[in-house]
Amino acid sequence: MKKHNSYSSLIPGFARGCLLIVLCSGFGNLMAQDTTAKKSTVAADTTAAAPVVKKKSYVKDTFEGNLLIDDQTVMVPIKGTFAFEIQHRFGTVQHGFSDAFGLFATATMRLGFNYVPVNNLQIGLGASNEKMEVDGNLKYALLKQTKNGSMPVSVTYYGNALMDTRKQDNTTTLFVNTSDRFSFYNEIIIARKFNDKFALQISPGYSHFNNLAGYLDANGKVQPTWNNDQFGIGLGGRLQVSDGMSLIANYDQPLTQNPAQNPRPNISFGIDMRTSGHDFQIFIGNYSSLMPENNMLYNQNNYRKGEFLIGFNISRLWNF
Amino acid sequence: MKKKLIFISSLFAVCMMSFAFTIIQQPKPWPVPAKDAKIANPVKSNAESLSAGKSLWSLHCVSCHGKKGLGDGSKAAQLKTTPQDMTLASFQSQTDGALYYKISEGRDDMPSFKKKIPDAEDIWNLVNYVRTLKK
Repeated sequence: MKKHNSYSSLIPGFARGCLLIVLCSGFGNLMAQDTTAKKSTVAADTTAAAPVVKKKSYVKDTFEGNLLIDDQTVMVPIKGTFAFEIQHRFGTVQHGFSDAFGLFATATMRLGFNYVPVNNLQIGLGASNEKMEVDGNLKYALLKQTKNGSMPVSVTYYGNALMDTRKQDNTTTLFVNTSDRFSFYNEIIIARKFNDKFALQISPGYSHFNNLAGYLDANGKVQPTWNNDQFGIGLGGRLQVSDGMSLIANYDQPLTQNPAQNPRPNISFGIDMRTSGHDFQIFIGNYSSLMPENNMLYNQNNYRKGEFLIGFNISRLWNF
Repeated sequence: MKKKLIFISSLFAVCMMSFAFTIIQQPKPWPVPAKDAKIANPVKSNAESLSAGKSLWSLHCVSCHGKKGLGDGSKAAQLKTTPQDMTLASFQSQTDGALYYKISEGRDDMPSFKKKIPDAEDIWNLVNYVRTLKK
């Protein structure tokens, strides 16, 4: 059932406006950062003078890569990095051996491509087999933690726009206008690298769905199941246990009270292995979608009932 | 007699086959331009530098060069050029500038790392760590 309220016609324009404002302010920050960022240079000239190396002030590798299980990390790769992401979530483990703990059940997967055209800015595109969704995303490093402590945290913005590209069929899909297909996600990720081995991040997030399913009440009136705006918060951490291997964990808590159904939180933990060109994560958690806004709203996997699922993320990195 | 001959020639064939399909690895001298070899290392080899260097070594280098730089990494057998034993004096005798150049530029099987490690200070940290591999 399509939900009509006084907000729905305004919000698509409003959401677009928000994204535009954020993009413009991001550009302004980029200009500012260019003038203050410390860069290392090597002057290799024929006089063979010692190259000028300014002391690099930012901490490196707060996390291993772009992803921390279901969340984005605070990291934006170095300029010129092109990454290919493969994300995969199996079915829940509850059926035991009958479906190989979810391995033989229906899986959700996403393929994504990211590129860092200028320092601190990453743009990406992806497609997921869940509801045939395609997404465009943007990640910008607003602040970076410094080694001398003058900036104690790194802060990054991440946002995406998601489009459900399924055909309109009046039975499973609810699209009257094209704008009904869209949802948006924005978050601010704040992280601190405490030492070489341990880092933590916290990420408050906000999703907006242009159109959501409702239900008919006893009087035949359309009632909303959920709010179109959702807030949530995530907490993630990484502990390096050996060169190239870390333990990772995540907790996500939806915060919005919905009229008819509330989403459940997520607990996930696993291993991260990184090589020169790849980043592998394998883990178990409650979230089954690859898109943060879907997880934040629709997750009904209950950790108290052991409704966990196995998943993995693989990133392949190239530097141009 | 005939059986013996067949047996010996089969044994010989098997021995020849045992090293078939292997790549013959050659050590290959790597000259470095004089101006690059003369560049002095501006980064002190302190604990912080070595720690950073070790992380970079584990991430980018171990798979071919091996954990101790002996050239026995998991990928080493597939390489056309033998990675040199970095523990030997013949390797360690080259200048820091020469090591910097080789890491930065790469050659043949060895990738160029200047795009993957864009900060010069990081490559110097790696050079400092490579020095500790000396026997």
